[in-house]
Amino acid sequence: MPGSDHSTGGVRRSGAGRASRVRPYAITGGRTRFGHVLLVETLVSALNRPAPAGGGLPEMDAICELCRGHMRSVAEIAALLRIPLGVVRVLLGDLADQGRIRVHGTPGEDGDGDGTPGSTANRELLERVLGGLRKL
Amino acid sequence: MRKILIVGAGQSGLQLALGLQAHGYDVTVMTNRTADEIRDGRVMSTQCMFDTALQHERDLGLNLWEDRAPRIEGLGVSVAGPDGARVVDWVGRLDGYAQSVDQRVKMAGWLEAFAARGGKVVVHGVTVSDLDYFSRTFDLVLVAAGKGELVSMFGRDASRSPYDAPQRALAVSYVHGLGPRPEHDFEAVRCNLVPGVGELFVMPCLTVSGRCDILFWEGVPGGPLDVFDGVKDPGEHLRLTLELMRAFTPWEYERAAGGVELTDAGATLAGRYAPVVRRPVAELPGGGLVLGVADVVVANDPITGQGSNNAAKCAAAYLDAIVGHGGKPFDRDFMQAAFDRYWDGAQHVTKWTNAMLAPPPEHVLNLIGAAGQLQPVADRFANGFDDPADFEHWFFEPEKASAYLASVAPQA
Ligand SMILES: Cc1cc2nc3c(=O)[nH]c(=O)nc-3n(C[C@H](O)[C@H](O)[C@H](O)COP(=O)(O)OP(=O)(O)OC[C@H]3O[C@@H](n4cnc5c(N)ncnc54)[C@H](O)[C@@H]3O)c2cc1C
Repeated sequence: MPGSDHSTGGVRRSGAGRASRVRPYAITGGRTRFGHVLLVETLVSALNRPAPAGGGLPEMDAICELCRGHMRSVAEIAALLRIPLGVVRVLLGDLADQGRIRVHGTPGEDGDGDGTPGSTANRELLERVLGGLRKL
Repeated sequence: MRKILIVGAGQSGLQLALGLQAHGYDVTVMTNRTADEIRDGRVMSTQCMFDTALQHERDLGLNLWEDRAPRIEGLGVSVAGPDGARVVDWVGRLDGYAQSVDQRVKMAGWLEAFAARGGKVVVHGVTVSDLDYFSRTFDLVLVAAGKGELVSMFGRDASRSPYDAPQRALAVSYVHGLGPRPEHDFEAVRCNLVPGVGELFVMPCLTVSGRCDILFWEGVPGGPLDVFDGVKDPGEHLRLTLELMRAFTPWEYERAAGGVELTDAGATLAGRYAPVVRRPVAELPGGGLVLGVADVVVANDPITGQGSNNAAKCAAAYLDAIVGHGGKPFDRDFMQAAFDRYWDGAQHVTKWTNAMLAPPPEHVLNLIGAAGQLQPVADRFANGFDDPADFEHWFFEPEKASAYLASVAPQA
């Protein structure tokens, strides 16, 4: 489809519309007004809560195992477990709903920080994520 | 509780998600944009919806903007002759009103409502490898991702897709300040046909900043209206739109005499796509199956303003099919049957829309002309936008057209 753009139903937008795609989301305690927004750099860790009866996919258990005692980024989890990123996002959402993981949001967004790139908190975060990725 | 995954937060995906949620299903919606990104983004459509489609929204309590959106009570057709005169000019009355609620307003609001009611929203641009996994872990996966790249999983149905290239270049502007058409005191969609050149649609809408009007040019590719590609500046896009109105539809240009301005920075859209019907069931590399919804499976040109209407009808048909299926597995037969149920109505839309893209045959010109003298013909044409299956009875074949005209013509 020439001149097509999936976000606009196959129609290219005029003007500068792309920037909004990479804008950081506002997160409060790991939840937005509409559920968990999990960026690749969002950090999660496992809580000591058992899987609900019949509700544990092997991948979910593997994620909890990986995040026990470690804060891991969404990107790290996908890479370490070789699970597609979209799958990790869905499973993390379910795990958070079940109370099996904590979503820490990203430093700078949790508290009063504004999450803009370049803030100290964000630089720390990026280094952390990069460090995590380098260890893979 | 049956687990259902819906990819795409547009008209069909969210209507279906909210409908299934109300029936107690465990629904996850995956979307590549957050509600705020949708609201702050670009316009996506002109999204004019007629009564039957609006009723599907009402049935689910999703008509959240009905009181604020302009009520469109008529649909008019003007045909440009030489010298900027109109050779045809009429308006038909709709039995039930139509409305256009900016998809930025509606989809952002619906997505938030779905989440507030406990629905799971995952922000992620879904890929085929994601789906491969989901087709095993969800009871049913529905792909309602519009015309995005995921459609390539669904094979093109050549027998139902007469065109393989875009038939119109599209250019949309949302404006404040447009005056009314002086001929009538109710709101109407105005279709202005410029033979050989294209069409201008003008309609009222509710957008982020309140009531507005949409100017929508559909240009024959390579023709004088096909000038919007590469225009980056929204102001320039509007200037071109108005310039073309002055040249081809001066009666609509007059409505802008008081000065119009774009509603916001994201008020313009340009592009083109080929109309296509696809096979409804896609098989993933791992053998799982997913069912396509609305534009994914039937994407008509917007010349007849039917895509959102179709999306609402598709979502309603699939909702019935899913609920009616109870606890049985959602296998290939189920998926094909659900689509067939939708296609039963959608085929008429595709046939009519594809016909409107081609130069009109003699008997259609006669019908459009006759509507200027015979109000019942104008009314029937207008209401065909609500129920396109009706065109089958009087529009496509010359014999049926003349029989119909004879039946409504005053007795001599
Ligand atoms: C210029 C124009 C004017 C139109 N005018 C009208 C009109 O007046 N009346 C009418 O009825 N119809 C009109 N239409 C058609 C109508 O807008 C569409 O047919 C309708 O929106 C289709 O609904 P949908 O649910 O199939 O897809 P969409 O509304 O396109 O929704 C698809 C959603 O999926 C998301 N998505 C895409 N890819 C992915 C992915 N990989 N992962 C996650 N999410 C994804 C998108 O961001 C989007 O939110 C018009 C279309 C255009 C282009």
